[in-house]
Parts: sequence; C-alpha cells; structure tokens
Amino acid sequence: MFGKVLFATTATPACDNAAHVAFNIAEKYHSELLIFHVLGLPSRGFSPFVRDARTGEEEYYDQDYIQWVEEELKNTYAEQLARYPNARIMTMAGTPHTEILRLARKEDVDFIVMGAHSRQERTGALGYRQAGSNMQRVARSARCPVLIVNRPCTTCLWYFSNIIFGTDFSRASYSAFLFASKLAREIGSRLYIFHALDLSAMHAGKIFSQEEIEDQIKAAKEKIHRIYLSQMQDYDNVEMEIWEGVPYMEILKYCREKNGDLIVMAHHTREIDPEEALLGSTVEQVVLRASCPVASVNRPDKIQEQRKTR
Amino acid sequence: MTQGKLCNKRPVNTEEELHSLLADKGGKSYYEEMQDLDVDASEIASILEKTLKSRMRTWLEICTHCGLCADSCFFFLANNRDPEQVPSFKIQSTLGKLYRRKGGVDNEFMRMAMDTAWSKCTCCNRCGLYCPFGIDMGVMFSYLRGICFSQGFVPWELKIGSGMHRIYRAQMDITTEDWVDTCRWMVEEHEDEWPGLTIPIDKPDVDIMYTVNAREPKHYPEDLAEAAILFHIAGENWTVPSIGWEETSLAMFAGDWEGARLQVESVYEAMRRLNPGRMVVTECGHAYRATVIEGPYWAGLASGKTPVETFHYVEWVVEALRNGKLKIDPSRKIKEPVTYQDSCNYVRNGGLGDIAREIMGYIAEDFREMSPCREHNFCCGGGGGLNGIGRYRRERNIGLKVKRDQILATGAKLVITPCHNCWDAVRDLEEVYRIGIRWSFLKPILLSMVEIPHHLLPKE
Ligand code: SF4
Ligand code: SF4
Ligand code: SF4
Repeated sequence: MFGKVLFATTATPACDNAAHVAFNIAEKYHSELLIFHVLGLPSRGFSPFVRDARTGEEEYYDQDYIQWVEEELKNTYAEQLARYPNARIMTMAGTPHTEILRLARKEDVDFIVMGAHSRQERTGALGYRQAGSNMQRVARSARCPVLIVNRPCTTCLWYFSNIIFGTDFSRASYSAFLFASKLAREIGSRLYIFHALDLSAMHAGKIFSQEEIEDQIKAAKEKIHRIYLSQMQDYDNVEMEIWEGVPYMEILKYCREKNGDLIVMAHHTREIDPEEALLGSTVEQVVLRASCPVASVNRPDKIQEQRKTR
Repeated sequence: MTQGKLCNKRPVNTEEELHSLLADKGGKSYYEEMQDLDVDASEIASILEKTLKSRMRTWLEICTHCGLCADSCFFFLANNRDPEQVPSFKIQSTLGKLYRRKGGVDNEFMRMAMDTAWSKCTCCNRCGLYCPFGIDMGVMFSYLRGICFSQGFVPWELKIGSGMHRIYRAQMDITTEDWVDTCRWMVEEHEDEWPGLTIPIDKPDVDIMYTVNAREPKHYPEDLAEAAILFHIAGENWTVPSIGWEETSLAMFAGDWEGARLQVESVYEAMRRLNPGRMVVTECGHAYRATVIEGPYWAGLASGKTPVETFHYVEWVVEALRNGKLKIDPSRKIKEPVTYQDSCNYVRNGGLGDIAREIMGYIAEDFREMSPCREHNFCCGGGGGLNGIGRYRRERNIGLKVKRDQILATGAKLVITPCHNCWDAVRDLEEVYRIGIRWSFLKPILLSMVEIPHHLLPKE
C-alpha cells in the first residue's frame, strides 16, 4: 500500500505538514519516496519561460534553473533527507496537477501525499469552468489513494487511532472503504463508518417528513451492514453512525466528536457542479476545514493489487 | 564570413544543436553573436529575385503613403499613434529598402528588420482590409521574416521552435511514444466516468482525423480528453494519427519555409495514409492557417487544398450543434455577459465569423460583441509568435492594451478564446493589467452544458 510514495510539494512552507507525514510514512513502511515539485506554469506560449511556482518570478527553464530549484529542495528537506535518504528529488515544468498525475502514472506509485496547495491558481490560468484546485484535480483523477495534509497533525507518527470513513454508497466510496478498513486493520485503529443524509438537496423545495427521514436512515443502516460491515469479518473495532445535514459539515462534526485523526472518503468526478466550482467539492470543503489529514480514494487499483499479493 | 556558433544561417536540424541553443539562457550569447553576423547581399538579392512575387513588388511600388492603414494597426493605436508604427512605414523601411537596395544592407539594418518584423507586426492582416489598394503588410512581413531567417536574423525562441519542428515534427520535444502514451493516459483517466471512451490511434477510413497543438499533449492533456469526450458524446467515428498529429507551425512564425513544409507534409502524409473523410483541427488559429491556408502552397499541392477537407474545431462544433449530435441543456447556458475573441487566423483568413456567432447563440444568453469584431477584430496582441519572444515582451505588453480596452468595453468578464495564442495573450493581459477577466476554450464550456445521452452514463 505504501511501497512507492509520491510526495507532491509546492516547496513552500505550505507543504511542511505534508512533508512531515510523507517522510513518516516512508520511514515506517520503508517506502521508495519521490519528492516531486512542479516548477511552475509554462506561462509564455511555447517559449521556455516558466513562472516560478514559489516566487511568482519569471524564469528561463533551463538546466541552471532546474539545478538551482533542486538544490533548494534538498535544503528545504535537509533534515528529513538526512534521516531518510531513500528519496528521489524530481522536478518538471507544467501545470501542477497534470504533471503530478503524469508522474504518478509513469512511476506507478501506490500513494500520493500532498498539501492542500494554494487555491490561487484557479482564478488564473485555469480559467473558466475548469473546476478545482490542483489538489482537487489530483484527488479526483489519481488511481491511488491521495492523502491531503492541510494542518499540522498531532498524532502524526502514522499511528492513526481513529479513522473516519465517510460514504455516500457510490462505487468510488467502496474503494475508499477498502483502503480505510485495510489501514485500520494494519494499524489496529478504530474504524468509524459514517454516512450523512444529504439534506442540502432539499433547499430545492422538497421537504421531507420526519418519517421519511427515518426511513432513509434505516435504509442507510442496512446498506452499511450489507456492504461494509459484512466485509469486516473478525475485526470488531468498528462503529457506525448516520447523521443528516450537509454532508461536509456533518462529517466534520462527527470527526471532531470521535477525535478522528484521519478522514477517508471518495472524490467523485461528476460531483463538482461547474457553476459552484468556487465552493469546491465535499472533499475540498472537508480538507480545508478538518484538523486532520484527509485521504481521497476513488479507485480500487492500488489497494486490491496488494491484496492479491498477500 | 562570420557565422556564430549559435547564431548563424543554418537551421537547427539536430538535438545537439537544439540543446546548445536551449542552454543559452534567454539567448544571451545568441544575440551577442548576432551583432557580428555577416549579411550575404547577393544571396538576398537572388532570393528576392526568385521569390518576391509580382504582387508584392507592385504593392511596394504603388503605396502612396496616404496613411489610411495607420489606424488599422493595433500597434499604432497602442503606441500613441507613433508614425513609426504605421504599417506602410514599417514595411517600406524594411522590405521596401531591401528590395530597392537589392539586398545591399548591413548587419545593423538586418537587426532592425528583425525587430520590426517580429515586434511591430503580428501578421494579423488587418491593415490589408483598410488600404484602398488592398496592400497587406501582414503578408509582406511574413515574407520578410523568411529573408531574415535565411540570414540567421531570427529571434532566439523561434530558431528553437523551428528546430523543434525539424527534429520532432512538433513545436515541442514530444516523441511519437509520448504522444501515443498521452492519448492512452487520457482514456485511462476518464473511462470510468465515460464507459467506452476511446482515442483511436491510426484507425483508417474513419470520418474524422483529429489533429492538435503540441501544447495539448505537453501541458494541457485534458484538452485532448475533452475533445475525445465530445466526439464520444456526438457519436463520431474518429481517430488521431500516431505521426502527423501536430498542426501548429512555429516554423511559419520563424520564416523557416523549409521547416514549415516538412511539418505540414507530415500531416498531409497522415491524411493520405489514413484516408479519413475529413480532418478537424483543435482550437488553434495559426495551426489552421499553416495547415489549411498556407500549407498546400508550401507542399506544392497543385490544387491549393489539403489532401482531405479540413475543418477548424469551431466548424465541427457548429455542425454538431446544428444536426443535434451535441445538444445543449438550455438551463446551463452561460448566463453572465460573455464575449468572443475572433482569431485573425480563421476570421480574416478563413472567414469563420458567422460560425462563431451561431455557436454563441447556442451556448450564451448574454453574448456581447467586441467592437470592432469579426474580420475587423484586432489581433489579440500576441499573434505571429510574439507571445513567446522574450526580447519583445515590453512591446507585446504595450500592444495588449488595445485588446484590453476592447474587452473592457463589452462589460463581459468572460472571454471565449478558441485559439491557443489568443488564450495565452488574454491570460497574459490579465496578468499584466489585472482587469478581472476569465477566459476559456470552447471545449470545457460545451462539456459543462451538453446533454449526455443516457446510454453513455456509467452504471453504478
Ligand atoms: S493605406 Fe495602403 S497605400 Fe496608404 S499608406 Fe497604407 S499601404 Fe500605403
Ligand atoms: S498585419 Fe497587423 S500587425 Fe502587421 S502591420 Fe498590419 S495591422 Fe499591424
Ligand atoms: S493569436 Fe489569435 S488573434 Fe492573434 S494573430 Fe494569432 S490567431 Fe490572430
């Protein structure tokens, strides 16, 4: 699950927390660690200019520049690299999410760690209706789990003791479940399976009666039993809960209540209504507000593979 | 005869030469060497003799210096009506002199000619519409660029760009494997959401062969995915060639006619090999000009036409909207005010102005025309390769003012730019002048509002 870890960094302090977690995982699981920085947008047509992602300055994209940035990366992570030298520093010019996904695919990585990254770029080069920040786009399209670390995480010696898995019963959510349950078993942590009845849709005018809501809760409970709990076999360190409200708010509240130190959920491709792109998806809302890291998992590829080999 | 190591009249034909040029930060030594570059007057004379067509000779001779073309040029307007920015002045003081002196000019003259040809003209052809004799400075500046190139006087980035075409048959270092792999990657990334999505490669006898701008596989692969998804929704039978997929031509911007020919022949070769019903080219203006309008002449095709009929992306879009292959959900049309940047290369050279309006009618509720528009629209300000040349950044930024004011006057905060170059220029304009606009190609907009046939939805 953590054989090859890609840490995508903006090489700014915004990613320090993510760096901390990435190195921790790599140390604990003896992973091969790729430290990847996208230098900046190739902002001038076809020309070899790059607008440096960190400074905002325009630079010539040549060997000197690349070497300089790579040296800086080595300095930034000098302490961690001294402890864990099994890391490769890599850079590329381009659109960050594109290059992160391209590298993840090329190197067939098992796990991506990144910061929430700044949202600035959205108003700029991505233009109209190109939903989402880099983080969102990576989370949406990656074939492996993506861990987004936005805040310093207190428990983070990679001993998550309370894993919150939020589901909407989609196919992608099942992949997220596979990851969450596997991780819980491996670490021996408590797994909380959580579903929020989405009442935000009701603003459209439809009002549900209390009875209807209760029916839906009952149905969701059954689903959780059928789809997830039945898979847990002997592992009984599991709890489940169903709340109603706006999904991202509910999962955040639930996470707080349970002292969650990791949230696992799926990030849907169609979820983002372009009109509301500025608000972002549920995952993004959760990432920005949660005090713990959030893992976004959409596909079973990298989780099941491992299963077979075990 | 002095020829520099980097700056010389030899075009770039090997990766080694390309890398040494790229290693020269910003073309510093390149431009230093240019100061000592020899000018071969007799060679220029013989090129003029052989290639300066009678039409251009006549143009140079009959210009009455009436100045009617002055206001047509956005550089003139953006530079406080500087007389040195009048199109006729710009061409007479460069190509005109070269012609009258039969090539007898010196190094300093050639550097001035280069600076004029690339930083004072984007070859947008607008002036030609306003001259009573139809004298088109854009055409002549294109020609002048060829002469400058033959003597090694070409901006550093464009020497590199034309070399890329010669080596990779693309404006950037993308190999066939890179290209094919990017297509596969995009399918992998989207097939969950779009079951059955494919990007067929080298499929013969299909209806549409689709070709792109190298920037798409390199930096914006989602553009390729969006094209594939839209073809998928429209139910098209289409393919991309593994070789001959690049439509753009920095070689054309560089004045490297030989490189431009090599490039366009790779596309024509793909047409012949795959025998599609027609070709559709992505949302790029100069690619259309290079392949559809100029290309047949470079390649010496007697018909003056591409081997198979060629459509710009907007032509395909309007056709798909008309015949219902793409259906727009009216509730998702763009509601805010939106304007449209007519790309010189297919509005003036290709006459596609009506099509753009028809498309806007389908997708926007509050479409605002720029003034002037259609074939009278001003260049975005970054055409002809200017966007990419570091040496002329200042001149380019000044020129952007005209487009800035045109956009501001519409009141729209969203600009549709179905041309890569325009897209870049509008983005840079926002970066330089911060007027709070957004810009987009058509593909993402169409995807955000098209109705998806039920059978194409994934089954959960
Ligand atoms: S309008 Fe025509 S004739 Fe008059 S100055 Fe311009 S190019 Fe010459
Ligand atoms: S072609 Fe365009 S840029 Fe060049 S001189 Fe004429 S109007 Fe000006
Ligand atoms: S960039 Fe666009 S508008 Fe400008 S010259 Fe080229 S095609 Fe025309």
